Amino acid sequence: MAVELVDASQAPLLARPYYGQGDPGPIVAALAQVPELLEVAMPFIGVALGPSAVPWRTKEIVILRTSALLECRYCVQSHTPVALDAGLSRAEVEALRGATSAAGAFTDEAERTLIHWIDAVAGGTGTVPPAVNAALHEHYGDSEVVELTMVVGVTLLLNRFCTTLELPTSPDVLARLEDEGLA
Amino acid sequence: MTTAIATAVEEGTLPGRVWMYSNYHCNLACSYCLTESAPQSPRRQLASDHMVEVATEAKELGFTSVGITGGEPFLRPDLPDLLATLAGILPVVVLTNATLFNDARLARLQALAGAPVQVQVSLDHPDPVPNDEMRGPGNFAKVIEAVPRLVGMGIHVRIATTAEHIDGEDRARLCALHRDLGVSDDDHIVRPIVRRGRAVDFGLGVEAGPPDLPAELTITADGAFWSPFGPTVHQDRLDLDLLITRTTRPLATPAAALLRLVEGRPPGEDTQLNIR
Repeated sequence: MAVELVDASQAPLLARPYYGQGDPGPIVAALAQVPELLEVAMPFIGVALGPSAVPWRTKEIVILRTSALLECRYCVQSHTPVALDAGLSRAEVEALRGATSAAGAFTDEAERTLIHWIDAVAGGTGTVPPAVNAALHEHYGDSEVVELTMVVGVTLLLNRFCTTLELPTSPDVLARLEDEGLA
Repeated sequence: MTTAIATAVEEGTLPGRVWMYSNYHCNLACSYCLTESAPQSPRRQLASDHMVEVATEAKELGFTSVGITGGEPFLRPDLPDLLATLAGILPVVVLTNATLFNDARLARLQALAGAPVQVQVSLDHPDPVPNDEMRGPGNFAKVIEAVPRLVGMGIHVRIATTAEHIDGEDRARLCALHRDLGVSDDDHIVRPIVRRGRAVDFGLGVEAGPPDLPAELTITADGAFWSPFGPTVHQDRLDLDLLITRTTRPLATPAAALLRLVEGRPPGEDTQLNIR
């Protein structure tokens, strides 16, 4: 780790609510170094990546694909079990992680279009070709596009945060990955 | 414009004083020091213009005084002038071990005579040996010499006694001593050792958390803390448990966070240990 993760005994006053249920995970434990960031970042991340009008499965497609493109070890490992729990198949997860072709693993046209769009947003410089944008709008409304764009953006933020700070993947997640054959 | 902070201070919800750790190094190495201060400690000094800006904003927000502590603040050559500047903004109390007041330093303090500056001197026992066991050789004699000279210059002096235990007889002799030095009973405070910093290693003092510590906003080079007993150092590591925010300017950021924490405190939870 590139920084000290704050343990419960040292949790700053504004961070203490996040330690009430035990180990809050390395993202919180790192952000606790700057409590005023933690107390706004976590609710924001929660709204952006948590349950919303966009289905859970769709959000996990965005998070896992973006994290794979950014080569964020922590985020790919942590969200692989989440993606499985959200209803993605093992083949779909492997495709999102880049092991196989997404076009082959995904049959739903909207999801194939979404993955193509994510690759343009997160894999390039952020400028999305008009044809890719137009294709996305055939399947998703404006509010959904705004949400999906925010999910990519917040994931990018976390990808760099977790990679730069070398955050450790939890033992529970590593064990699950072993069990699933996705380590 | 009345701020939420000003209202809270007026109503007594929030203490009126803002503390600043001017520096962390010290010419002494007391056994109960909260910050493990010593001559070789990292200085972690607040810039003088930063301190003036904090005091200015504190006044604008509705705080009513500032406190300067360390480390030993008078190790800073700029301190006398800085105190005069701060006293032009808000009343000041500065904590010192009073062992550095040679003729040259005292001459530079003359400008503080009659100014709203209180110099709070540490004196823990009426006898030299037990006092110096905690605070270092020669401490008692230097304090006994310095206090009357400060008082004679017209500087308001307070005495702070920090003690694990002080019995009735010793306390009576200590009070007789501070009166002899020219310091009234109103200007003498006695408080327990708080088990943080070096006191942990010596097994000294009482455990104290936010319910026991007045919520005095405390600014350091490392951020803003709940109480001057918050930014302690143990085994060369800064304690974060009483950290409020890393942001210290604008002061409104930690002040607002502190007020939220105070207002969220269960009713009736307040200091019980006379820690001040």
